[in-house]
Amino acid sequence: MVPKPLIKRSSSVNPDPQQKTQYNFSLWNIWVATTLLKILLYPAYHSTDFDVHRNWLSITSLLPVSDWYLENTNQWTLDYPPFFAYFEWFIGLFVPHVVVDDGCLELVDVGRYGHLTVYFQRSSVIVSEIVLFLALQRFINISRSLKEKKRNFVIASSIVLSPGLMIVDHIHFQYNGFLFGILILSITNAKTKNYLWCGFWFAVLLCFKHIFLYIAPAYFVFLFSAYCLNPLTIPKSTKELIGFIRWENLLKLGSVVIAVFVVAFAPFVYYGVLPQLLSRLFPFSRGLTHAYWAPNIWAVYSFMDRVLIQLVSKVPGFGEFVHLVFKLNISSESVNHTSSLTRGLVGDVQFSILPDIKPNHTFLLTVFYQAMSLIPLLVNPSFERFIASMTLCAWASFLFGWHVHEKAIMLVIIPFSFIVAQDRKLLPLFQILSASGYVSLFPLLFGSAEWLFKALFTFVWFVVFSTSFNEVSHFSTTLARRVFIIDRLNSLYIVALIPMCCFVQMLEIQSRNFEILQRLEFVRLMIYSMTCCIGVISSWNGFTWLYFLDDSIWVEKDD
Amino acid sequence: MHSNKKKFVSLFTSSPLHDFLIPFKKAPNQWVARYIIIVFAIIVRCAVGLGSYSGFNTPFMFGDFEAQRHWLEITTKLPITKWYFYDLQYWGLDYPPLTAYHSWIFGMIGSWIDSTWFALDSSRGLENTDLKSYMRITVLISEIVCYIPAVLMYSKWMARYYNNASSIDQTIIAAAILFQPALIIIDHGHFQYNCVMLGLTLLSVVNLLYNKYALASIFFVLSLCFKQMALYYAPVIFCYMLSVCIWPLRVNFNLLRLISIGSSVIITFSIILFPFVYFGGFIQLKQILIRVFPFGRGIFEDKVANFWCSTNIIIKYRNIFNHDQLKLISLLLTLIGISPSCIAIFLKPKKNLIVWCLASCSLAFYLFSFQVHEKSILLPLMPITLLLNEVDPDVISMVCWICNISMFSMWPLLKKDQLELQYFVLGIMSNWLMGNLSWIRKTLQWMKIPVTAREMATPVLPHNLFWSMVIIGSYIAAGLLHFIEFIKPPPENLPDLWVIGNVVISFGCFSLFYLWTNYKIYQIANTKVKEN
Repeated sequence: MVPKPLIKRSSSVNPDPQQKTQYNFSLWNIWVATTLLKILLYPAYHSTDFDVHRNWLSITSLLPVSDWYLENTNQWTLDYPPFFAYFEWFIGLFVPHVVVDDGCLELVDVGRYGHLTVYFQRSSVIVSEIVLFLALQRFINISRSLKEKKRNFVIASSIVLSPGLMIVDHIHFQYNGFLFGILILSITNAKTKNYLWCGFWFAVLLCFKHIFLYIAPAYFVFLFSAYCLNPLTIPKSTKELIGFIRWENLLKLGSVVIAVFVVAFAPFVYYGVLPQLLSRLFPFSRGLTHAYWAPNIWAVYSFMDRVLIQLVSKVPGFGEFVHLVFKLNISSESVNHTSSLTRGLVGDVQFSILPDIKPNHTFLLTVFYQAMSLIPLLVNPSFERFIASMTLCAWASFLFGWHVHEKAIMLVIIPFSFIVAQDRKLLPLFQILSASGYVSLFPLLFGSAEWLFKALFTFVWFVVFSTSFNEVSHFSTTLARRVFIIDRLNSLYIVALIPMCCFVQMLEIQSRNFEILQRLEFVRLMIYSMTCCIGVISSWNGFTWLYFLDDSIWVEKDD
Repeated sequence: MHSNKKKFVSLFTSSPLHDFLIPFKKAPNQWVARYIIIVFAIIVRCAVGLGSYSGFNTPFMFGDFEAQRHWLEITTKLPITKWYFYDLQYWGLDYPPLTAYHSWIFGMIGSWIDSTWFALDSSRGLENTDLKSYMRITVLISEIVCYIPAVLMYSKWMARYYNNASSIDQTIIAAAILFQPALIIIDHGHFQYNCVMLGLTLLSVVNLLYNKYALASIFFVLSLCFKQMALYYAPVIFCYMLSVCIWPLRVNFNLLRLISIGSSVIITFSIILFPFVYFGGFIQLKQILIRVFPFGRGIFEDKVANFWCSTNIIIKYRNIFNHDQLKLISLLLTLIGISPSCIAIFLKPKKNLIVWCLASCSLAFYLFSFQVHEKSILLPLMPITLLLNEVDPDVISMVCWICNISMFSMWPLLKKDQLELQYFVLGIMSNWLMGNLSWIRKTLQWMKIPVTAREMATPVLPHNLFWSMVIIGSYIAAGLLHFIEFIKPPPENLPDLWVIGNVVISFGCFSLFYLWTNYKIYQIANTKVKEN
């Protein structure tokens, strides 16, 4: 029991002598608050990803390691790299008996489970997310000045409170939180110039989820340039060229990374299932776009195709015109076959009017834009450049990649958060990106129960962090002309997202009364996709512009 | 007693709520802080709404959710004359007319969205996600319109004229009030529209504070017409209004004020009842009265932590007295129970006394009156929660304690509704936000949780040793009861044993708290404070 002297109210003791320490740079409070909120979300909708992870849990718990990547009773086979499989195996050690009886660990084609399984797996997401909180707390703690600490606190809290994580991890169901935690460990080590640890954590991350390959080029170039090269001078002879590379560091880094991969993959090489594993990791059989178009270039492309189909079928003579001018092949049969707007919900996307896109096209485009962003990093491997090029790499993959999920936008937003405070000029770009990016996640939760929750959470996050980032950002050092009309357009766009969401929701509500709206289900997703495209692409334009043309942003700034 | 001139020291300085909101202390960011608390209050309510509700998946009568849905159905699909007559066995309308109008509006909107939701008869027992979302949203909208602004306005008045809290402290206190778990879980978990009635009463109180008597009486009548339970507050409101009109007799007898109050009451009532009389004649009024005041029912139904149910364990009232005698006794006891607060507010119509008297009076109703439900604790709880605006730390401790006990007293109901998860999470959340759990952090210092160690005061217990013992004792008893219930089903011959334990513990706490409020009323009434 608490002894008497301890139990006093604050007003009865003297007011805190250190009035200055009003700010508390600890994520503890946020952790408690969000954890409580996340527990309230236990009964919320969960997607098929839940059954995917439940299936992996049972595969790793019940089967020997050699069979993990062979098992295919359930259509959701294990298709993440080995560390994630180990991670699932580790969680499986803690499944209580009541949860096992609930059907958590059954190897069946479709999972049959009750709320206990849901509670258990949702708890595992919350617990694993502690990694993210610890990594970000470390990021705050390494700040050197109070001002920087405040800035880093805003960055960290914007990430842990991210509506993306709330929607994707805690409602839709995935384990992104702790994966981003590992990414942030790596980023923190890059900031403190512990390059070996930086490489180590990133290698670990890649062995957890291979989607982080999107940003691997930035890591590769950064670590190579910052750690394995002497400061850049033009080599005059072959000897200098050899001396130009710090072979010892290269060896250390290489062995660390290879060691991680060996630990991850060795058992599967031993059992001879590596080819099977790799074919699971990189399935090229899927289509260009997902059922719901992630807001990228291909969404615009598909949209244009749809518009052209409509024009060709509705406007007489338009087809011949297109054929004559652009030499595009239009078979009236394909147009008729595909003119229904509901098309595109399932399966492979085939374009009727515009030329088809092959995987190597997307690959070339992605590599080109990534390479462009890597050149400045190679020359000047500063931390800020590194984060910026990481953002750009993820962005290029998101915009041009093959079969991109809308969730991948988190890979752009989270690195971007680390540099947004660098300069006021970046703030509007970040606002547009985060607003459109998070709104583009809304269709993941299509039910009416979570609608208000996701919308309000995203809204309040946006208001809070727009204000906070505005307060802690560095002022622009260059007195660039700010184009006010563009600023106004930015705000207009962001505000317009609200009526867009409401309008689409109204369409959905009214679709039970009007049959025409039911058939237009795809249109609702298309509205989301197109609106968010505008934001993601225009923000990318602005960012690329600043990345290549405004060098003053990408240097370490003093407070 | 605190003087008004004293600089306000926030009692929540060591609370997480303070930590969250203090970064928005600067004047230009104040609006952000206010929006944050409102939006987060709504977000938490949305999250609670994802859970189960009263009567979920329990044919054939279901529960309160079905009752409310049914009212939306009958008000939209039947003429006004049949509202209080239609199939009374199946959740017949038994709330006053404003509830009916409220149901009608939301029923019309809902029918526009989906005509099957409120189709006459065929929609009985309908349960689907979209309907649930819609019903949840109607509660949210009602709360946003009625309750939340009233709380903010009340805190604003208190800050300006009473405790001199800074703008940010005022927001923090409002947040603490909005995160009171009992109202959240009943309205958004169990499913009811208590926030409307409470909000209207609170609006009436706010108008009383601003000396707008006609508006105050209109709001109070509206509140009464929404849910007859607002009668728990009526004696105090009545005494206060009467007192400010006629007391002291010769100095400021204010006839004009009395007339304006009286006429606004009558006019409001007539407007609300007019459609019924116009379309159905005076028989409608009689039927409404019969439906709204069901004196035919027993003195208590379910197990509830009031005087009758608790002492019934020892004295079997139903064997000693007949129904009418019981009614009379309960009336007498209630009158005795409400008299201290009514007399105090009549003799000393001080503004800082209103909320205290409302608390005491409604608690007396809860403890002694006829036909009380466990949810009725929300009524005393509303003014009690408003006491968080007080500047005395002991008061805050007592308020937090009784909030927790009220939550605990509703445990059997919430368990039946399958809201166990929400019960524990909301209970922990509200206490933690107000800093009531910071002593845990203090004892866990060896764990080196990444917390910048600050000098923390631990606002759990009041200074008085007796109350500290009571509070600690009740917490231990409540915790033990939860634990026993978790590990062991009740013995077969006494299936209600754990519920009765709950009732007894809660009743003990409520009655002690009732005595304490009366003591405080006496103390405050006899203190000279300069009126603003």
